[in-house]
Amino acid sequence: MMATTPAADPVHQGFLRHANFRWAKLALLLCLLSLIAYVWHQPVDGANGGSWLGYALGGVGALLILCLLWLGVRKRRYRSRLGTVKGWTSAHVYLGLSLLLIVSLHCGFQFGLNVHTLAYALMVLVIASGIWGLIAYDRVPGRITQLHGGSDREAWIEEVFDLNEQAIWLANELSPEVHRRIVASAEKLQLGGSLREQLFGASRPSGGDGLRESLEQRIAELRGDASRPGALDPSKQNTVMFMAGQLQQTSGGEQEAARIQKLLKLLARRNELVVRINKDIALHARLQLWLLLHVPLSLALLAALIAHVFSVFFYW
Amino acid sequence: MSISRVKIAIVGSGPAGLSAAARAAELRIPHLLLEAEAHLSHTIYRYQKGKQVMAEPTVLPLRSVAPFAAGKRETVLQAWNDSAQRLGIQIRYGAAVIRIGATPDGFLLDTASGGTIAAERVVLAIGLQGNLRKLGCEGEDLELVQYQLDDPDAYRNEAIVIVGAGDAAIENALALADNNQVSIVNRRDEFDRAKKGNREAILQAIAEGHIRHLSNAAVSWLRQDAPGQGRLCLDTAEGKAEIVCNRVIARLGATPPRQFVESCGVQFPSRDANAVPAVSAHYESNVPGLYIIGALAGYPLIKQAMNQGYEVVEYIEGRSPEPADAPLLAAKFRAMPGYQSVDASIARIRERVPVLAPLTPLQLREFLLDSELRIMKPGEPIFRRNDYSDSFYSVLDGGVQIQIDENDPTQRVGLQAGQFFGEMSLISGRRRNASVLAGPAGAVLIETPRGSMNKLIASVAAVKRVLDETFLLRAIQAKLAPGLDAAELRELVASASLARYSAGEILFREGEPGDCLHLIRKGSVTVARELGGREAVLAYVPAGQYVGEMALLTELPRAATVKAAVATETIRLEASAFKALLTRHPALRQRINETMAQRLVANAATSSQGSGSIVQFLMNQGLGEATDVLLIDESLCVRCDHCEKACADTHGGVSRLDRETGPTYEQLHVPTSCRHCEHPHCMKDCPPDAIHRSPGGEVYITEACIGCGNCERNCPYGVIQMGVTSPEQPSLWRWLLLGGKEPGNTPMAVDKGAAKKAVKCDMCKDLGGGPACVRACPTGAAVRVSPEQFLQISQGAE
Repeated sequence: MMATTPAADPVHQGFLRHANFRWAKLALLLCLLSLIAYVWHQPVDGANGGSWLGYALGGVGALLILCLLWLGVRKRRYRSRLGTVKGWTSAHVYLGLSLLLIVSLHCGFQFGLNVHTLAYALMVLVIASGIWGLIAYDRVPGRITQLHGGSDREAWIEEVFDLNEQAIWLANELSPEVHRRIVASAEKLQLGGSLREQLFGASRPSGGDGLRESLEQRIAELRGDASRPGALDPSKQNTVMFMAGQLQQTSGGEQEAARIQKLLKLLARRNELVVRINKDIALHARLQLWLLLHVPLSLALLAALIAHVFSVFFYW
Repeated sequence: MSISRVKIAIVGSGPAGLSAAARAAELRIPHLLLEAEAHLSHTIYRYQKGKQVMAEPTVLPLRSVAPFAAGKRETVLQAWNDSAQRLGIQIRYGAAVIRIGATPDGFLLDTASGGTIAAERVVLAIGLQGNLRKLGCEGEDLELVQYQLDDPDAYRNEAIVIVGAGDAAIENALALADNNQVSIVNRRDEFDRAKKGNREAILQAIAEGHIRHLSNAAVSWLRQDAPGQGRLCLDTAEGKAEIVCNRVIARLGATPPRQFVESCGVQFPSRDANAVPAVSAHYESNVPGLYIIGALAGYPLIKQAMNQGYEVVEYIEGRSPEPADAPLLAAKFRAMPGYQSVDASIARIRERVPVLAPLTPLQLREFLLDSELRIMKPGEPIFRRNDYSDSFYSVLDGGVQIQIDENDPTQRVGLQAGQFFGEMSLISGRRRNASVLAGPAGAVLIETPRGSMNKLIASVAAVKRVLDETFLLRAIQAKLAPGLDAAELRELVASASLARYSAGEILFREGEPGDCLHLIRKGSVTVARELGGREAVLAYVPAGQYVGEMALLTELPRAATVKAAVATETIRLEASAFKALLTRHPALRQRINETMAQRLVANAATSSQGSGSIVQFLMNQGLGEATDVLLIDESLCVRCDHCEKACADTHGGVSRLDRETGPTYEQLHVPTSCRHCEHPHCMKDCPPDAIHRSPGGEVYITEACIGCGNCERNCPYGVIQMGVTSPEQPSLWRWLLLGGKEPGNTPMAVDKGAAKKAVKCDMCKDLGGGPACVRACPTGAAVRVSPEQFLQISQGAE
C-alpha cells in the first residue's frame, strides 16, 4: 500500500545529474577518444588542423558548436518532442566543456594572429562565460528563495505603495511641512533601474535628508527630553522650531509624539522593504548577467567559425 | 388594490418565464408576467457590459416565440425587450411575489408592494439567484440606497456607508475606500463570515484608518435630505447615532429561492443544497397547477429554459408537443437492438434498470440526454484499472465482467443486465480500481458523465442510497475481503457507518485504544507520529485505502495519529464485527497481516529520514486532494519563466500557471497551477457541463464553456482564469532574426470583443510526451508529481 521504496529513484534530478550523468559520460568518452587519436597520430609536419585527424576533430568541433547553438532554438520550441530541454541543457554543458579539449587538439595548439585563433579565443570566452553561468545557477537560486522567505516581490512592492500611502496620510495630520517632505521621499524611492543600478543599487541614498533625525528630535521635544543627541544641531533648527511652533498650539503632545513614532516605524519598514526589493532585483540580474556575454559571444563565435571554415577551404 | 385575474401567472422574467409569456401572448391567453426588478431577465441584465452570452448546447434546437442566439448581453436583452413589446406580453415590473397560495379555483399571488393576482395556473421561473435582501427599515427603497455595486471607480469623494459584513460588503468597501470616505456597518464586531483574505484585508484597512468600522450596530432608519445627501440612523449598544452620507450600499445577501418555493407547498427530494424540486414530464410540481421551469427545475442553460417556457404553455393548453430533445434521443437510441420509438426505449430502460426507476420522467429524459449508449462486443474492454475516467455505467442488456485481481485475469465477477458499475471512481474521485470487460454475450451500456450523475444523486434520495450501499459492499469486497460474498459480509456491512471529517480534523490519536477501521471513501488523510516533541508525517493515504487496521489486529493502542488532509468521508467498520470476520476467515487475517507489516517497514523508513515536515507543508496547501501537482525545486529554478512561456505558447497565448506566486517551504515551491483535484471544485457548478476528466486524470475544459466564471470562483486555489485564447502564436524564427514578439512571452493581439472563456491547465493531454512546463524547464526544477510521490520528493529535496 504505502510501501514506498525509500529514495531508490529520486523523483526529480537537476540538469547536471540528468539521466545519471549520461552526457557527462559521453563527453568524457569523446575527449578520451580524441586524446588517444591525437597521441597515436603523428603527422610529419606536427599536429595541426590540416591533417586528416585535424579535419576530423575540426568537423566534430564545428558540429558540436552548431548543436550547442541549437539549444537557443530548441528551448523556445515548446511543442518540440525532441528530448526534454533539461536533457538539452545537460548535453550543452558537458559537450560545451569537451570542446575546450577537442578544439585545442584540432589546432594542435598552434595559435597566431588570424581569424582561426580569433574563433578559438571566442570559443574559450563563450565557454568561460558558460562556466560563470553554471556558478551563478548554482549559487543564486537558493539565495533568492532565502531572501523571499515565503513572500514575493510583487507583495513587497504592493506593501511599499501601501506604506507610502499610510505615511502620507499620517504626515498630513502632522503638518504641511512634514507632509511635503514625506511626499518628496516617497517620490524619490527607486526600485531597479539601469543594469548598473540593478546590480549595485541606486546611487541616490534614500532617507538621508535628515527627515528621520528631525522627527526623532520632535518626539524628544514633545516628551520633554532635550538631552537627545542632535537636539541642538543648528542645521535642523529651523524645521524643528517650525514644527514645534505648529504643534505647541495643540494640546496632547504625547499623542503627536505617538503619531510621529508610528510614522517613523512605517518609514523604517518601507525602507527595509525597498532594500530587500533592490536586493532581489540584483540577484535576478546576476542570474541573467552572464547571458549578456554568453549569447553575443556565441553569435560572434558562429560568425568567426564561418569565416574560419570558409578561409580554410578557400585558400586550400 | 383590485385583484387582477389571469389564466397563467408567470413568476420571473428570465429566459424561461419570458418564453412562456411570449407563447401565452401569441396564443392570446390571459397572462401576467411578474418581475421583481424594473427590467427583464435580471440575472442576464446583471452581467457585465458587453459580456458574450453563449447558446449551449449547440445541438439542441431552440423552440420559442422569443428570439435567442449567442451574442452580446445588450443584443440579447434588446431582442427580448423588442419581442415582449411586439407580442404584447403583459408584464408587471417591480412585482416581487412573496406568497403563492392555492385556492379552490387556482392560486392567489401576493406581491411585496401589496398587489394580489388570481391565476388558474402558475409558472414558477424564478431561477436560483434569489432576491436581494433589503434593509428592512424606513427608507430601504430611497434613491440613496443601492443593493449592488457594478463599478467602484464610478464613485469619487463621497461619504459612503456599506451595510453588511460578508464578502460582498467587504470587497465593495475595500474597492471604494481608494477614492471615497467609507464606513462599514456590522451587526457584530467581527467579520467571521467572510473569507480569510477579505477578513484580513478589511481588518487592516480599519486598523490603518482607511475604513471606519461601525460595529455592533444595526440600521434603524434612512432619510434623504437632498439628492445624494442623506442621514442614516444606527442602533448601537450606546444608543442611537446619526451619520450623514452621500450613498448607502447594503450587501445583505439574497433570500434563497428554496425557502420561498417550499412556502408555496413544493417539496424538495433531499436536504442537499443542490437539490431541485421534482417535476413531472409536463413540468408540473407536486402542487397541481403549479409548474416549475428553468434553473429552478435543474435546467440552467438559456436554451433549455426557453424551450421549457414554450412547452409548459402547450401542456397547460392540453397539447403535447414532442419535446425539443426528441430527435436527439432518437439519434441515441436508434442503435439499440429492437428500437421502436423514443418513448418505448425510455419505458424499457426504466423497467430494466432498477436504479433509474425512482427518477421522474423528466429526470430520466435529461439523464439519457446526457448519457451515451454504448454497444460493446464480447470481451471488449470498457475501462482499465488505473484509468482516470469517472463516468457511471448501467447495464441495459448482456453483461460485463470485472477483473478483481490484476495478476490473475481469470478471477472475474460478472454483472448482469439491470446492475451498474463505476460508482467507486464516481464517489472517491480516484482511478478505476479494476478493469471491466464486456461479457461473453456482449453488452449494451448507458454511460453517464459524472456531472449528470452527481446532479441525480443530489436530487433523488433513492439513487443516493442505492449507490452508497453498493459502494460500501464493493469497497469492503475489493479492499478487505476479496472473494467473500454479500451474505458473509452482512454483519460487517451492518456495523459500518459513514463518518465525515473536515480538513485537519482527527480520526484518531496516537495512544488511543483502537476500536475501528476507517475505509477512506472520499478525500485523504495523513498518518503522523510525535517524534521528539513535533509531529512527523509518516504517510499520506488517499481515498480507496484504509487506516487503523494495526490496532484491530494487535490489541495495542493506536500507533499513530490520523488526520483528515482535506474534507474526508470514511466508512467506519467496528472492531468487533471485523474480528469476528477474521476468526471465520484465516486467509483474510493473513492478508491484513501482510499489509500491516509493509506499512510498519514504510513508516520506520520515513521516520528515520525525518521528512515529515515537508509532507505536512504540502498537505497544508490543500494538496491532500490533488492527483497531480506542479512543484518547483527553487534551488534549481533559475527564474527563466520558460515554464510559463511554454504553457502560453502551447495554449493559445494564455499561461495557466503563475510560477512566482504560491508558498515555498525550504526549497520546495508550490506555484499557482492546477493540481487536478480528486473531486474538482471547478466541476461543482458548470452549467454546460464543460469540465471533464480524461482517462489520464487531467481535468480540462471543453469548447462548450459559456464563460460564466463559476469555476473560476469555485476553485479554492485560484488556478482558473477567464481569458481569450488566440490560435496563432508568434513565430520563433521571426523573433530570433528580426525581433518583435517572443514566443510564449507576449500575448497576441486579441479581438477586444471576443468572448472570455475559462482556461486552466489540461496537463498538455493532447500534446504527448508530458506537460510542456516540465519539458521546457532547462534545469529540472519543475516536476509534476502525484501525492503518492510526496515522500520521495521530500527526501529528494532535503
